[in-house]
Amino acid sequence: MQTIIRLLVRFIRQEVRNSNVLFSLGIYLLGVSYLIYLLSGSTPSDSVWNTLLWVIVFFGSVQLSSRSFEFESGPYFYYFQTIANAKHTIIAKMLFNVAYMMFLSTATWALFSVFFGNPVYNTALFFIGLILGATGFSVVLTLTSGIAHRTRGNTTLGAILAIPLLFPVIQLTSAINLQAIVGVTLTDAANLLGTLVTLDMGIGLLAYLLFPYLWQD
Amino acid sequence: MKGSIYKVLGLLLVAYSLIYGLLTKVPELPIIEESIRNLFYHVSMWFAMVAMMAASFWNAIRFLGTEDLARDRRSISLAEMGMFFSFMGLFTGMVWAKYTWGAWWTNDPKLNGTAITILIYLAYFVLRNSMDDARKKARISAVYNIFAFVMMIVFIGILPRMTDSLHPGNGGNPGFNSYDLDNGLRMVFYPAVLGWIFVGTWIASLRYRLKALQE
Repeated sequence: MQTIIRLLVRFIRQEVRNSNVLFSLGIYLLGVSYLIYLLSGSTPSDSVWNTLLWVIVFFGSVQLSSRSFEFESGPYFYYFQTIANAKHTIIAKMLFNVAYMMFLSTATWALFSVFFGNPVYNTALFFIGLILGATGFSVVLTLTSGIAHRTRGNTTLGAILAIPLLFPVIQLTSAINLQAIVGVTLTDAANLLGTLVTLDMGIGLLAYLLFPYLWQD
Repeated sequence: MKGSIYKVLGLLLVAYSLIYGLLTKVPELPIIEESIRNLFYHVSMWFAMVAMMAASFWNAIRFLGTEDLARDRRSISLAEMGMFFSFMGLFTGMVWAKYTWGAWWTNDPKLNGTAITILIYLAYFVLRNSMDDARKKARISAVYNIFAFVMMIVFIGILPRMTDSLHPGNGGNPGFNSYDLDNGLRMVFYPAVLGWIFVGTWIASLRYRLKALQE
């Protein structure tokens, strides 16, 4: 547990030192949202709003995760092996990415509220959907980014591997969020939420079990 | 001799399902009409594909346990065969859909599942080609194979059941379970599935031996 916290602090420090990553992400979000605003010119319908939000979050997270193991798998790979084992690394990395993707999706939501208004009726359900979606994204993207970095120097590979695997997560999340927009109550959405929670836990466990095979030479 | 029993059996079953599938009496249903025979040719492809992918998944797990490169060769051969079946299933389905639904492609959960499956396994092949070291390649692609198979099962096995589908047997559309009283369709369908699985295993084993000789 202590190792995980130490790793988390380390990842956060690394991110703060490399603040250009965070800024480029912010500019991406702002730029794309404004581009949509310019091109559409009017308030999109609820389902279009939801689709655009998820497409932006989708590409933002893929871009974000492509840098996920940049530091750890480079020349510092062997050094990193001596300070933390694979299981601690994957848990810390997944937690870190969950937080990052939560931030990313909430920021997109805020930007969309500014430009296109906020059609969300059931905010609690929408937010739970965002948390669960960010968790699923983080699990899939952390593992695929680990795979891509272990193959050395192929940055597009991460996206190729991750995109098809993300579809089940994104489909469920966007369904939940659409329900939150039209104002379905929490109990009525319990079936979808339960499925997404199960999926998140299942793939999280799988990534935890598989990562040690990846994180060795 | 012993090893060739399933090959002969597979060929006989496939031949039986191809020929008898055209001759057998089928229930008369509206819209589907005679195209119900596609059950023998189209649906059996998906069953064979899932069987191939499952065997590939199993070999990937075994590889991680044993570090035996033969397991990895089996895994990739079976995945390639599964990919072939999924393309065949896609083409037979598209032709059928054109005449039954009037479009080559519709936004149907099962079609989306197919598209995702093909993308996932294409990514798997790309991943394999991006590495040189045999042992590392085997280990990393086994990790992806296991993760991908689970995601594929979620996508084609669980999510479609939560939404309606245009496919016969879903969303109030008649399927072969409810109308087929004398089990005539099953008498062709199950042999077809079994036959294609046998033939697929045979071709995969040939590819496996070829790969073993090349390395």
